[in-house]
Amino acid sequence: MEKKISEYILDSKNTRISNSEKKLKIGILSSFTINGLDECLKSKSQELDIDYQSFVSGYNQYNQEILNKNSKLYKFNPDITFLIIDIKKILGDFFYFSYSVTFEKRKKIIEEKISEIKNLLLNFQKNSNKKLIISIVSMPMYSSNGILDNKSEFGFYEMINKLNSDLITFAKNKQFLFVYDFNQFIRKYGEKNIFDYRQFFIGDIQISFKYIPYFANELLSYIKPSLGINRKCIVLDLDNTLWGGIVGEDGFDGIELGQTPNGKAFVEFQKQLLALWEQGIILAVNSKNNFEDAIKIINEHPNMILRKKNFACIQINWNDKAENLKQIANEINIGLNSIVFLDDDKINQERIMQEFPEVLTINLPNDPSQYVSILNDLNDFNVLHRTNEDVKRGEMYTQQRERNELQKSVTNLDEFLKQLDIVVKIKKSNEFLIPRISQLTLKTNQFNLTTRRYQENEIKDLSNNSKFEVGCAQVLDKFGDNGITGVYIINKNEKSWIIDTFLLSCRIMGRGVEDAILSKILTNAKQNGVEEIRAEFIPTAKNEPAENFLENSGFKKENKFWIYKLNNDIKLPNHLKVEIE
Amino acid sequence: MGTNVNSIVGKVFSIPESSVTDQSGPENIESWDSFRGLVLVDELENYFKIKFTISEITDIKTVADIKQYLRNHNVTLD
Repeated sequence: MEKKISEYILDSKNTRISNSEKKLKIGILSSFTINGLDECLKSKSQELDIDYQSFVSGYNQYNQEILNKNSKLYKFNPDITFLIIDIKKILGDFFYFSYSVTFEKRKKIIEEKISEIKNLLLNFQKNSNKKLIISIVSMPMYSSNGILDNKSEFGFYEMINKLNSDLITFAKNKQFLFVYDFNQFIRKYGEKNIFDYRQFFIGDIQISFKYIPYFANELLSYIKPSLGINRKCIVLDLDNTLWGGIVGEDGFDGIELGQTPNGKAFVEFQKQLLALWEQGIILAVNSKNNFEDAIKIINEHPNMILRKKNFACIQINWNDKAENLKQIANEINIGLNSIVFLDDDKINQERIMQEFPEVLTINLPNDPSQYVSILNDLNDFNVLHRTNEDVKRGEMYTQQRERNELQKSVTNLDEFLKQLDIVVKIKKSNEFLIPRISQLTLKTNQFNLTTRRYQENEIKDLSNNSKFEVGCAQVLDKFGDNGITGVYIINKNEKSWIIDTFLLSCRIMGRGVEDAILSKILTNAKQNGVEEIRAEFIPTAKNEPAENFLENSGFKKENKFWIYKLNNDIKLPNHLKVEIE
Repeated sequence: MGTNVNSIVGKVFSIPESSVTDQSGPENIESWDSFRGLVLVDELENYFKIKFTISEITDIKTVADIKQYLRNHNVTLD
C-alpha cells in the first residue's frame, strides 16, 4: 500500500542523521512542475538507509542547466540526473497543429527536435561524467485525425514514436545514458489517473500528486542498483506459494497446478519466476514438508515449471523457517539483504520479518491470482548492467550445490580443493571488464579489505592512471566457470605499493583464490623492484571473513598499515593453477 | 465532520489541529504555499470522495471557503 504524498512531505522534513556508506546525490531536471518528487525520493531513500542529497532545477530550466558548463547542476555534480520532459514543451504549438503542414515538413520538424535533444545529451556527457536518465515522452491519447491517424503518412502518433525510438537507439551503446520508459508508467496506472487537467492548468503539473509516490518508485529502479542494493535471491515456500493446496494432505494428484483457475495462477507465477532465474536471479526453497512428498512434485509433477535444477538450495524439512533461511543464506553464501522471501503464510512472514528485518519479506495475500502482479511490482532485481556473471548466476549456484555435494563426500579439505581443479585467470582491467569490476566493489561486503566503492567511471579513471593497477580474477573449476570474482587495485609508488582494494566474491571464498591473487601481486611488485607492499584492513560490520587474511599471509602491522617486505619468499598455493592474461 | 477538515488542514501543514480555525488560510499559516495548498485539495478530495472545480481550487482563501465548497458538493459538515 503506497503512502500519500502529504505523508512523504512531512517525513522528508525529518532529516535523519545518516552515517550510511550509501551516499547518493540526485539531480532532477524537468520541463514541467514536479514538486513532491524530491520529497518522496528522499523519504524512500532514507527508508533504504541511503544518505540522500538532491538538486532540483527551476521550472523548465533543463536546457540552461545542461548547456551551461558552470551551472548549479554541474557544481552539485549528482551521481544520477533524471531529465523528465514533456512533448508539449518540445513541440510547442506544432503539438496541436501538426496536420497543418505536409508530412515531409512533419518529418523535418521531428528530425530537428531529435537532433536538439541528442545535442543536449552530448553536452551533458561532455560536462559531467555521471549518469543521466532521460524519460521518453508520453504517447498522447488523442489525435485530431482520429481513427485515420495511422493511415496518414508520418501521422501524429508515428511522429512521437519516431522521437522516442530514436532516443532509445541513441542511448543503446552509451554507458552514461539510460532511457526511462514513461509510457510504461502510464500503462501501469492509466493516463486518466495520472494526468489531472486541473493541476495542469493551475501549475503545469503533469503527474498528479496522487501518483508522484508511484513515480518515485519507478525512479528508485535506477537508484537501487546504482548503490548495489538490489536483491539477488528469492526464497520460496511450496504449499500455496508454488502450488495450491498442501501436498502432505492433498497428495500428488490433489494439489492445484494447471487446469483450474487457481492452478493456472500458480503456473503463471512459476513462469515469471523462471524468467527471473534466466536473468540470473537465484531461487531457493524453504518449506515445511516431508522431503519425499515435496521433492516428488518438484521432480515429477507434469505441470511444474520450476525443477530441481532451478534451485540453488532446497530446504524441505520440519525445522523453523528462520533457521532454514539462515541455512540457505549460508549455503549459497549471500547476505540476508540480498534475499526476497515469498511465503503465503502470515505467521511465517511475521517470523522472518522479526528475525531478519534485512530480508525483504513480501506480504503475499491469500489469493494466488495476485502473486504475479506483486512480483512484477518489485523493483529490486534491476541492475544497471547485466554482466555475463549476472546472467549465469542461477546456473553457477546450481554448480555450487554440486561442489558442496562433492565436499561432503570428501572428508579432507585439501583433497577437496585438489579435486576441484581450480584455475585462476588474472586479467588487467579493460573496457569489457570495467562494469563487472565496479559492480564487485559496490556489492562485495564480506571478503573486502577496504570496502571502497567505485562507480564505473571511477574504475575507468583508475585503469587509465599509470600510478594505479586495476585487475581482476576469473575462477574456473571442473564444475564450471565462476566468472570474474576477485578484484584488486594497487596504488604504485616507486618503492612501495599500496593495496587500495582487495576483494573476493563470497561465492569463491575458502578455496585459496585470495592467496593466488595476492601472490601474483607480490611477485609482480618484486619484479618491479618494489621493497614493500602496504595494505589496510578497514573493519566494517560485515568484512570479518577478511580480518586475518593479511596476518596469515605474512604481513606485519605497523601503525595503521600492514606491511609485507618483499625480501621474504612468496608462497603460492599448490592446489590451483594461475594464468596471467 | 467539520473537525475532519481541520484535522486534514493541520496534518497537511504540520500544525496542531487545535490551531486551525475557519479564518485559517495562506495569510496566517506559513507553510500554506501554492504547492502545499494543492496537496491539501488532493487530500480533501480523496477523503470526501468529491472533485472541486478548478475555480473552487483557485478561490480557496480560508478554511471557511473550503467548508463552503464542500457543501456545494453535497458534503454534510456539522
